[in-house]
Amino acid sequence: MEQVGPNIIHHVSNSDIAHPIIHLPTIFGINFSVSKHVFMLWMVAVLVATAVIIPVRKFLGSERSVPRGWMNAIEAMVQFIRDVVVKPNVGPKWVMTWTPLILTFFFFILFANGIGLIPVFDILGAFNRFILQIPASNNHNFINMLLHGGTTVTGNFNVTAGLAVITFFSIIIAGAKAHGFIKHWANLVPHGLAWPVYIILIPIEIIGMFVKPFALTMRLAANMTGGHIAILAILSFMAIFAEMFHSTFTGIGLALFSVPMATAISGLEIIVVLVQAYVFTLLSAVFIGMAINVHH
Amino acid sequence: MENLHLFGVGLGLGLIVIGAGLGIGRLAASAAEGIARQPEASDKITAAVNLPLFLLEGVAILGEVFALLIVLMK
Repeated sequence: MEQVGPNIIHHVSNSDIAHPIIHLPTIFGINFSVSKHVFMLWMVAVLVATAVIIPVRKFLGSERSVPRGWMNAIEAMVQFIRDVVVKPNVGPKWVMTWTPLILTFFFFILFANGIGLIPVFDILGAFNRFILQIPASNNHNFINMLLHGGTTVTGNFNVTAGLAVITFFSIIIAGAKAHGFIKHWANLVPHGLAWPVYIILIPIEIIGMFVKPFALTMRLAANMTGGHIAILAILSFMAIFAEMFHSTFTGIGLALFSVPMATAISGLEIIVVLVQAYVFTLLSAVFIGMAINVHH
Repeated sequence: MENLHLFGVGLGLGLIVIGAGLGIGRLAASAAEGIARQPEASDKITAAVNLPLFLLEGVAILGEVFALLIVLMK
């Protein structure tokens, strides 16, 4: 029973930097070695490139005016993001400036979230163990190294913090492009109030500037981690109850409850994956729009 | 007495669920009522409900993260 908690944490956290998958040198005090989540980031990047960039380039280069197949799905998503997420928030003047950034966020987060739900490496691990007959204790086997840690890169706070930093700077750039660099900072607080109000208001607005990307970071990472923890906790009931009653059959019997429950939560996770990709893009668009269309 | 922090985390998680549940419940109830009265405005109502819903969810998730931190860091 003591192993359940560490096991869950082990599943959702990144692999240890002391045992990286690929060793790279340390530059300027930053260790560039590839850990599990970095490897997954690369995989997601390659997947987005092959699934989105190449079909779109191919379609734009062709003579056809009507897309077909996979390109239809991409076009539907692009149109949804442009017309429902970006246009009402950013305004018709700046849509085409900010849609590419928002679309990049959307596709990256969608693919990164989605790949976390597919147990790619666990299937590879089973293949490794039972067909290639490589023992779990072999720490130098490539697939065994991949099995350390979780697969959802957006469940890592550092990844989502990186995405939120991009949003933070694009808010400033959006305001600076629309109103000029000095005017953007003046726009943060409303004009024409009594001076004592500004003493309270200016610090609040400055804090709010940093809270926006922080909330974005926490929301995405915690949602992705939370779903995985819930699924693993429900599956761990089997081990906990079997040990509590000192009987294997209790564990097997509890599987009749926990496996359907975990399946149902996995179904809920599919919705969460889509909604979180949508939420991150929507909130980024809203924050960029707030810098452009100042309502004060 | 050394496991008292777990008690606090359990209590806190319950409070988070109560708060978030009440908030989301109010939003959903008002939205459903509004759509029932004016079905043609359902797009606008959904768009208006979305943003506060996600902001609310963000606060609840933040609370859960800190609860998890208390368990892990002790």
